[in-house]
Amino acid sequence: MKQPTGLLIAISLWAAAPLMGQPAASNLPRTADGKPDLNGVWQALNTAAWDLEDHTGALHAAPGQSVIEGGEIPYRPEALKQKQQNFAARERLDLSEAVCYQPGVPRAMYMPYPFEIIQTPKLIAMNFEFAHARRNIITAGTPHPDGFPDFWMGDSRGRWEGNTLVVDVTNLDERTWLDHAGNYHSDALHVVERYTPIDPTHIQYEATLEDPKVFTRPWKISMLLYKILEKNARILEYECVYYLQDEKYGNAKPVGVSK
Amino acid sequence: MRITITVALAFAAAVIAAQGQEPQWTPPRTPDGHPDMQGAWARRGTAINEAKAPSSPLGEFNTTGQPYPTIFNSGVVTTLDRAALASRKTGVVDPPDQVLPWRPEADAARREFMTHMIPPASLKYVEKAARCILPGPVEGDDRSPFFILQRPGEFVLAYEYNHVTRVFHTDGSPHVGKKIRLFMGDSIGRWEGDTLVVDTTNYNDKTSLGRTIPFHSEDLHTVERFSMVSPNLIDYQLTIEDPKLFTRPIRVAAYFMAAQQGTEPMEFACIEGSQTLPNVFGIPFAPAR
Repeated sequence: MKQPTGLLIAISLWAAAPLMGQPAASNLPRTADGKPDLNGVWQALNTAAWDLEDHTGALHAAPGQSVIEGGEIPYRPEALKQKQQNFAARERLDLSEAVCYQPGVPRAMYMPYPFEIIQTPKLIAMNFEFAHARRNIITAGTPHPDGFPDFWMGDSRGRWEGNTLVVDVTNLDERTWLDHAGNYHSDALHVVERYTPIDPTHIQYEATLEDPKVFTRPWKISMLLYKILEKNARILEYECVYYLQDEKYGNAKPVGVSK
Repeated sequence: MRITITVALAFAAAVIAAQGQEPQWTPPRTPDGHPDMQGAWARRGTAINEAKAPSSPLGEFNTTGQPYPTIFNSGVVTTLDRAALASRKTGVVDPPDQVLPWRPEADAARREFMTHMIPPASLKYVEKAARCILPGPVEGDDRSPFFILQRPGEFVLAYEYNHVTRVFHTDGSPHVGKKIRLFMGDSIGRWEGDTLVVDTTNYNDKTSLGRTIPFHSEDLHTVERFSMVSPNLIDYQLTIEDPKLFTRPIRVAAYFMAAQQGTEPMEFACIEGSQTLPNVFGIPFAPAR
């Protein structure tokens, strides 16, 4: 607790701000089992996928303000050096941008592509347009399995706290980044997400990231998810792997085989 | 006495099978009144077992004909399930002799294509399933479970394999515009009584329908029918129409069998671990870190 109390109060007020003026909980659409209805096509409207922190515009990178509470990621000193190396080589080393690998969590939630939430009582699926990634959020009350390997999209277990869907994410593969600016994590990353609908078309999304190998303390991002209201809203396919393969191998000759 | 009963039961099952009737049974319902098919399932029998097919240079090991782990076999438990399973036909049921109605020029083209698949003469001839792209309507990996999710206006078939998610829109929305072409097509569903009928168009021409049907055209059109016939069995019928391949539609019968209780989706990542194309062409796909 080295932070000044004033700052803490400021953060608390800031965190509470989006909740002010929200409609009575009874106004939220509900599923048949009485939970807030998060079904539909959603998208974050920010530039966090390029850089979670404040950043100036650059070629092919839109400018944007930080989505992090407190503004900056609390890196350990040696980890900050790694982040800076990542940033310098980001065009080559960002696996989601360079080769369309699944973006991991939380990055999938703020990629500049829509995703669909399909909500059922025991399983909430998220179908992402980017690289046809999918999250399976299990809400059956079962725990994270023991001894599982790491997954590109992690292992997600959800529960409802009032109108908030709380999702605990573990087993995250250390090869994903948090954005295109080289912000990264280790295999010790633990993410806790909170999805709070503040009205029928907006979800307040928060994620707390804890990774003692890389960060000095847990830290939090916060943003809105916007519901796509067009009648024909649906997830199409951004199957960039196919086109990358065409580009890399389209004119290549097989090697190491004899006929 | 036991022998008599067994014989009687076997006779009854045989009669049911001979008449092609499903035992009387009412499926559970979702809150909006449709059969509730939600849960974890194993897909069985979608292989297009073409008679007189050219032998595949890739062998008999087929993405839809693989051996299944026994974990999925314990889902089917009730007498109704066993009776329904006993009368299942799988694979190509129309034409009944499994000789596909190829257009001669399309048949010649695929035979020519298949001669270049091992070793692949170029990227074009690499088996699509080896590229980790979305698999189209037939292929997938039946060793992994499928998950059905239902909500008002949508019926979703989520494969564990390569995290494929097929969303069938049942809210009356029309197909997307003709210029939009999709690996998995655009699927509109409607309920005919307790059967979900899924009409899919807008396919691209970048997937295959199996090892011996290595391509299809953008005119591919599929109609699928999902009907729950017993507590742990969904009957699945797939009609495949592609006027550039076949002179008339063909139909495949298959089924979904309930997976073991408590089966949860895991992640089947594909491109992230694939070395197929790097090995074939000697060019890495992902950057070394």
